[in-house]
Amino acid sequence: MIIPMSRIRVLGPRGRLDAVLGAIQDTGLVHLAEPKLGELLQPVSLSERESRQARYLRAMVREVDDLSLGARPGSAVSPGAPEAGPSEHPEFARWARTAGRARRELARLDRRTEALERERAELARFEQFVAAFRGRLPSGNAGMQSYHLMLRGEEVQAVTRLRAALSAVLGEGFALEAADLPSGERAALLLVPNAEAPRVEQLLARSGIQEMPLPAGITAGSLGATLPALAARREGLDREIAELQGERRRLLSVAGPELTRARAVAQDRLLELGAREHAGITPRSFVVEGWVPAAARDRLARALARQFGAEVVMEEVSREEWRGEEAPVVLTNPRLFQPFETLTRMLPLPRYGSIDPTPFMAVFFPMFFGLIMGDAGYGIVLAILAAVLHRRSRPGGTVRAVAEIMGPCAAFAIAFGIGFGEFFGDLGRRWVGMRPLVMDREKALLPFLGLTVAIGFVHVALGMVLGIVNAGRSHPRQAVGRGAALVMVCFVAIALLAGVRVLPHGFFTPAVIVILLAFPVLVIAEGIIAPIEFLSTLSNMLSYARIMALGTASVMMAVVANRLAGAFGGVVVGILFGLLFHLVNFALGIFAPAIHGLRLHYVEFFGKFYSPGGQQYHPLGHWRPGDAEHPLPAKGTS
Amino acid sequence: MNPIWIVLAAAAAISIPALATGWAQSRIGPAVAASLAEKPELSTTAILLVAIPETMAILGFVVAVLILYRGA
Repeated sequence: MIIPMSRIRVLGPRGRLDAVLGAIQDTGLVHLAEPKLGELLQPVSLSERESRQARYLRAMVREVDDLSLGARPGSAVSPGAPEAGPSEHPEFARWARTAGRARRELARLDRRTEALERERAELARFEQFVAAFRGRLPSGNAGMQSYHLMLRGEEVQAVTRLRAALSAVLGEGFALEAADLPSGERAALLLVPNAEAPRVEQLLARSGIQEMPLPAGITAGSLGATLPALAARREGLDREIAELQGERRRLLSVAGPELTRARAVAQDRLLELGAREHAGITPRSFVVEGWVPAAARDRLARALARQFGAEVVMEEVSREEWRGEEAPVVLTNPRLFQPFETLTRMLPLPRYGSIDPTPFMAVFFPMFFGLIMGDAGYGIVLAILAAVLHRRSRPGGTVRAVAEIMGPCAAFAIAFGIGFGEFFGDLGRRWVGMRPLVMDREKALLPFLGLTVAIGFVHVALGMVLGIVNAGRSHPRQAVGRGAALVMVCFVAIALLAGVRVLPHGFFTPAVIVILLAFPVLVIAEGIIAPIEFLSTLSNMLSYARIMALGTASVMMAVVANRLAGAFGGVVVGILFGLLFHLVNFALGIFAPAIHGLRLHYVEFFGKFYSPGGQQYHPLGHWRPGDAEHPLPAKGTS
Repeated sequence: MNPIWIVLAAAAAISIPALATGWAQSRIGPAVAASLAEKPELSTTAILLVAIPETMAILGFVVAVLILYRGA
C-alpha cells in the first residue's frame, strides 16, 4: 500500500534556518518541498562563498570516489585535483590533501603494476615459444644467430615462402622450424650462421614477418639455457607485483577510513547547502515545507519542540492546499510481499492516492509462473536455486529480492506440478506412477485453455474493480463508465457460456439485454472511444491463453527430453542429451514465465487501474555509503 | 474433411503468425537495443515491446490447437 503523507510547514526566525535544517536532517523524515514563493517570501540563494564551497566539496567527493576505496581502481583515477578554495570545515583542507596524495601514490603504483603485468604477459608468450621449440633443434648452435618469429593468421603461408627465399640465398645453411602455440598463434624459429645475419635480416624485413623481441633481462642463447632465466624472471615479476598490490592495500587501509569519513561529511554538507535552496525567507523569518509520513508527523514535531521550544513552529498544511500528485510515494507492504516491490518499481511509481499493485502482483505473478512451469521437478530445482541465491546475496539487494520472488514461484510450480502429475515431464509417471490430480496438460489442451482464459477473466475483472475504486476517489463519472464496462464484461462472459451450453441457455437473453442496457451508460460516461476500449478488454482476457500455450510447450519439451534418453544408441549419450534438453527447457522455463507473467501484469492488469507518476520519497538525512549522490528532490518539484 | 487440409490449416495458423512475430521482433529488437544504449532505464519497456508481438504466435498456436481438435 501507499502510506499516507502529511505536508508540513516549519516557520522560525531567519537566523535559525541552518539549525532547523540541521535538526530536520537529523530526523531523516522530511522530503523537502518548495513553499509558495511570492513578493514577501523569497527563495534562498547561496552566497558566492557557499557556491564556491559546494564546487570544492563536489570535486573532493569525486576525487574520493575515483579512488574506489576498497576496490581496485585500475586506471579510474581522475587527473584533476579539487580546485583550491575555502574550506569552512577545519578538516576539509587536510582531507583534500590526503585524497590528492593517495590519488598520486595509487596512480604511481598502478602504472608500475601495469608495466610489470605487460612484461609478465610478454614473458609468458616467450615461454610458450621456447617450450614449443625445445628439443626440436640441435643443442649445439655456436656460431649461429637465432630469430624468433611470430606469424599472424594471414602469414601462415609465409613459412613456405620464407623457406624458399632462404634456400635461394643460403642453400642448406639454415634451420627453420614452425610450431603452433597454445595461444593460437603460429611461431617459427630460424637459425642462420652469424655471417649471414645481415642478409637474413634484410630478407625478414622485406617479407614483413614480425620478430618476437626477447623479454627484458633475457639474453640470446640456446633455448635450453633460456628457460631457467625465464622462470627466474617470472618469479621475480610475481613477487614484485604482489609487493605492489600489498603496498596499494596498505595505502588504502591507512587512507581509506579517513577518506570515507571525509566523503560522508562533504556529502552531508552538500545536502545541507542543497536543502537551503528549498527554503523561503522573509527579512526576519524562514519557511520550510516538506512531506512526512503521517504516522511520523508527531515525532518530528516533538523533535523540533525539544530543540527549539516556542521559537520554531511546525504546522500541518491542510489537505485542500495540496494536490495528491505533489506528494512523494512510499510503498509499504507485509514482509512476504516486499520483494515484489522490485517488480512494481520497474515501472514509474504509482501516483500518491492511487492503488499500490504490489500485493496483487505478489499473489498472481507466482501463480502464473507456476501454471506455466507446472512441473514439480523443475520447481524443486528452482527452489534450490532460490535458496543458493538467497544465501549468497546481501539483504536489501536486488539479487536477494529476485531470490525471494523465486521462492513462491517455485512453490507454485511444485504445487501445480503435483496437480498436473508432472515431474521432469512424464518422468514421474513412468518411474513412480504419478497421476495428474487436476488435469493432464499433455492431453487436456482445451480444458487448460478454458482455465487460463477464466483466470484472465478474473484477473482483468479484478483490475477493472481496482480501476473503479481508483476513479471513484477523484472522477466519479469515470468510475460509472468503468462500472458499466465491468458489468458488460461479466455479462458477455455469461452470454458466451450460455451460448455454448456451459450455463443454462435461459441465461443468454437476459445477459444480452443487460449488455444492451449498459452500453449507452458506458458511451455517455466515457465517450465514443469506450466501446473500442471495451473490445480491447475482451482481447486482454484472451491474451491469458499464453499461459496455456507456454505451459503446453514446456511440458512437451520435457517429454521430448525424456524420449531423447532412449532415442540414441548408447544409454549414456541418450541420458546426456536428455539432461541437456531438460537444462535448456528449464532455462526457457524460467525466462518465458517471468517475461510473460510480467507482461500480463504490466499490460493487461495494470492497464485497468494503474496511475503512474508518483515521485520517490527522498527525505533529507545524513549521507551514508551506498546512498545516491544527491538524494534530494530536484528543485522545482513541489 | 480431408485430414491433410486440417493439418495444413493448423500449420498455417501457427506458422504465419510465427513468421509475422519474427519479422516484428526483428524490427523492434534493434530499435530497442539502440534505445537501451542511450537510456538503460527503459529496460522494462524494452522487455514489453519485444514480448508484445509474441502474442501473435501464441494465439496462432491456440488457433492451431483448436483446428486440430475440431478436425479430430
